[in-house]
Formats: sequence, C-alpha cells, structure tokens
Amino acid sequence: MELTRRAILAGSAAFAAALADPETAWAAAVNRADWSLGVADLDGDIAPHPMRLVRGRAPAALSGVLYRNGPARFRRPGGNSTHWFDGDGLVRRIAIDDGRATFAARFGDTHKRRLETQLGAMVVPGFGTPGTSAAKLSGNDEANAANTSVFAQGGKLWALWEGGSPLEMDPATLATRGFVTLRDDLKAMPFSAHPRYEPDGTVWNFGLAGIQAILWKLSPRGELQQAEVIKLPRASYFHDFTATERCLIIVLQPWIRERMAMPYIDGLTWRPEQGTQVLVIDKADLSRRRVWELPAFSYFHLGDAWEEGDGTIRFDLCSTTDPMFGVDGARKILLGPAAGASPPHATLARIALHPDGRGVYESSDTVAEFPRSDPRFAGEARRLTFHATGIGDGDAHLPRGLAATDLHTGRSDVWDAGPRQLVEEGIFVPRPGSTAEGDGWLVATSINLDAQATELHVLDARRVSAGPLATFRADAVAPFTFHGVFVQGARR
Amino acid sequence: MKAQFAKAQFAKAQFAGAAAAALFAVSAVAQTAAQLTLAFDCETKAGNVMLALYDSEEAFDRGGRPVKAMSVPAGQTATIEGLAPGTYGVKSFQDINGDGKMNTNPFGIPTEPYAFSNNARGHMGPPTWAEARFEVPASGAAQTIRLK
Repeated sequence: MELTRRAILAGSAAFAAALADPETAWAAAVNRADWSLGVADLDGDIAPHPMRLVRGRAPAALSGVLYRNGPARFRRPGGNSTHWFDGDGLVRRIAIDDGRATFAARFGDTHKRRLETQLGAMVVPGFGTPGTSAAKLSGNDEANAANTSVFAQGGKLWALWEGGSPLEMDPATLATRGFVTLRDDLKAMPFSAHPRYEPDGTVWNFGLAGIQAILWKLSPRGELQQAEVIKLPRASYFHDFTATERCLIIVLQPWIRERMAMPYIDGLTWRPEQGTQVLVIDKADLSRRRVWELPAFSYFHLGDAWEEGDGTIRFDLCSTTDPMFGVDGARKILLGPAAGASPPHATLARIALHPDGRGVYESSDTVAEFPRSDPRFAGEARRLTFHATGIGDGDAHLPRGLAATDLHTGRSDVWDAGPRQLVEEGIFVPRPGSTAEGDGWLVATSINLDAQATELHVLDARRVSAGPLATFRADAVAPFTFHGVFVQGARR
Repeated sequence: MKAQFAKAQFAKAQFAGAAAAALFAVSAVAQTAAQLTLAFDCETKAGNVMLALYDSEEAFDRGGRPVKAMSVPAGQTATIEGLAPGTYGVKSFQDINGDGKMNTNPFGIPTEPYAFSNNARGHMGPPTWAEARFEVPASGAAQTIRLK
C-alpha cells in the first residue's frame, strides 16, 4: 500500500510499471548496482582488437590463447532468463604473445539464440528458466546455450554446455560451425562442461540423464575412443566429476532428480537424509565400481584427484551445506539486489576415500570457487589448488580475488583485487621448461567496475599475493565467465 | 438428378469405409478421389523418407493405424492418389541408414531427421493432430515438409 501511494504521488509511469511487473523492478535494481556489469546483456560480438597494457609487463615466455566462455545475453523485450546459467554463451579469445594481448568475443550461433532473436524473447527452458511453449523444443540441442566452458585441443574449439552436444567454433575467428556428433548413433548425447584431462591430453567426460550417464573417452586430439552408458546408483544431479590416474570419480550429492520438469532444477529434490555417495569407476574396466558413503553436502566443482600408495583416494572440492546457490543464489545474481541476500558461498573441502571403505569429508572456511590445478599433475599427488575467492565480500556475490591454497597446510596465498574488480577463474599455465608443481602463471580475466572494461591479469602462481605481473585492458566489457582453457604456444 | 444422387451415395460409402474406398477409388470415381503430393526437404539425400498418413485425431495422437504408409527415396516426391477428400495428418522420418526404424540415441533423442505435416513442431514431444491436420479437398493438396 505504501508503495502504491508513493507511486501515485510521484506520478511515475516507470514506477507504476515496475509495480505491475516484478521483473521490471528487478531489472531496475540491477541497473543501479554496478557489479551488475557481471551479468549485463551484450548486444553483439566484440571485434578483435589489441588490449592496452595498464600495469607491469607480461612474461616473454608466456605465449598462447586463452579461451573462456560464459553467458552474455539474458534479457529480451518479450521475456528474460531468470537464472544465471541460462544466458547465451559468448566465447572470448585472448591471444598473448611477445608481451602483447588481443581480445575478441563471439556468441555461439545456436538454435536457441536464433529462435530467441527472432521472437525477441527468452523462451527456451533451461537449468533455472522455465521458458514457454513458444520454444517448441524437439530435442536437447535446441535448448543448448553453449555457455559454460570450452574444449580446445587437436586444433578444435568447442563451446560446452552440460545437457547437449559440443558446439564447434573456428579457433581463430570464433565463427560457429555447428554441433559436434562424435558418433552417428550418439548424436545429441550430452557432453558435460567439465572434461577431465590426463597429463598427455587424453580426455574423459560424462553426460547425465537422470539415473543414466554416458562416459566419454577422447584422444588428446579430440577423437572418440570409447563411449559407454552406465546406470548410476541414484539419479543425483552433478555438474563436474574428477579422476585419478586409474579411476573416474562421480560424487552423487543428495540433490536427486525425482521428476521431469522445466526448468530442470524444479525436478530436483534435496534429500540430505540420504547422504552423499561417491562412485569410483575403474578407467580400464568401466564395470568395476565401488561406492563410498559420506555425509550430505552440495557442490558444483571438484579438484583433480589422486591415489596414494595405500590406495587412499584424495581430492578437494568447493562445497556448500545445501544446493541453495544453484536453486536461488544464481537466480538472485541475475535478478539483482532487490531479489535478496545470496545464500552462503562455497568453501574449500577435502575428501579421502580409504581402501577399508571409510570416507572422510572435511570442510574449511576458505571461501573458494572455480578450482584449478597444475595440469601436469592431473591424477597424481599434488598440494596446490588455485581458486577464486573473496566471494560475497560486499554485495556483489561474485569473487574479487584469486588464491593458491596449500592442501597440506590449508594456508592461502591471496590476491585481493578489491571491491571494484569482479575476478574470474584463474587458469594455471606451466612455465616452459619447468617441472615443479606450481611453477608457472595464473592467467585470469576480470571486470574492472571503474574502467567498465574486461581485463586480463597474469600472476606468478608462486607469489599470488604480489598481484599481477601484467594487466591488459580491453576496449570493451563482457559479462562474467564461468570456465576456460589456455592453449600454450597457439599463435595469435 | 439421378447421376448426382449416385455420386452422393458413393461419397457416403466412402465416408463409411474410408480405407476400403481409398483402395477402390480409381479413375472411374476421379471426381471424388483426391491426390496428395508430399515433397520432402532433406539436408542429406541418403536413404528413404518413411511416411505415415493419418485421417483421425484418435489415430494420430494415440498411436492408431495410419491409412497409408509408404517410403520414397530421399529427394523424391510422394504422390498419394485416390484419397477420400477430408482431413489428414502426416508423420515422417528419413531412414538414412536403411534399417527401417527411426533411430534414437541411448537417451531416446532421435538421431535421424523427422517432421510432421504443416511442419508442425510440438514442445518437448510430437505435435498434436490439431497442429498437424490439413484439408485434402477433392481438387487435391500439396505440402512441402522439411525434415530436421
């Protein structure tokens, strides 16, 4: 009543419209918070252009291309996405060579994007967006937003989503070539956004459909070597998996798919009383499996795993006590501060699976998301995890720094970029010629809220708290990304 | 007068037993037997287009028998003659690998192109009779169906 009276007194048409339509009210609130640059709409592609060096100097030995992906279009006049994970994928390409950097970004040319452009409305259902019947979906790839991560090996560049096929793009121009079918009878089978890589580049991945999953094995050049459908112990939702040298590891959180629904998360139910199960599968014989029982927790991202001499399997993860971030937090990020406070952020946790069947889950208070590690040690014992941190300091709900956390001591080496930076996932790039874990650089993009520009930072991974060795700035700002890869030695 | 009455009688017989009438509708009754021409747009020219023609909501929406099922090589037009004028719906798919079935991936998503009359598209399922139905008048009808 108070608001109505004020609206009438103010005689504000905009305010009255906002009252009539809560989404308009949220959009207005988002426009007032400058961190909303992280989830702003980008109208179109960003043409290739040189980035300006604004701090330090890039290491001469750092050469390659950083590809990153994340949603960059959420709203259209006829209707909006209502969840962060459902915007159109924009692949960014940052080439670094000889101390210089160039920036370009291009949307994946998906069926979803074409249809929604034509209709002037976001109509396709997704992870948290209900969509409308105007989507007329006849298959999962028609909903494919190609917005979560990238695969770039063997001269291929794929934009990945988790519920459908990879979207192939030109690695130089980012022009879309179309959805990838790895084998004719496996057309449209899901290829998740979190492949795991062995040190030689061999790729393992999964695709989820309720109580079934497909396991993929690809050569380092991205050619299909093996694909097998397995039945899971339960229909858990999972976004990531992990692996040791010998095993694949699937963490079955008690966030269970109990019915088909749109949006997808409406079909999931949180059943903490059922605890978390960990399914371990022998890479050499996928029928050889073992299950460990752990207390209930929720997560999106896992670190690379390893097996110790006595058979104990260890890995780290970024976990929460419940899945409220996926259900609600990622909705509120998009809808803005008016939507209310975000749920607690993920912290770094460790898991040990002992050969005698005991499983140990140990959480910490280190705020952490987007964990990465030295790819030379994938599947082998390691002690460093690189991750985004400082999430939720202030009202942004997005990270403002990077850290290298030592899994033995729990100590973190932190770069806090301050409240005027939204810092994205940092990717570890080994220093050519080095062999020790952590000898290399962290390469990360950020959104500089004061400059209203996307930046590229290069940090010494052994001295993260020293801050960037070099920072480059683009002549454009693109929204917050989820995941990326760095292709070392690729030419600009 | 007599001739008109005879025609009406025949039309009645046709409606009473559409399938039988269709079978026997030859040149002698050309005035009441219509022709349907179906062209199929295929991205690849491999294999055959398998099509099924339905004449009722019951059959189309609830897995009943088609009044006609046939196949034509991809890229060729299907011509169905001697149809009783009325309302019809078409389901089709392109049998690229020639195994006679519409193949799906292990999670049930079709891996061969398919389409319906009016190029109707359902939402998370096949379209209904209401979306796919079309009239075939005595003068005949033609549709171009894009297989995707």
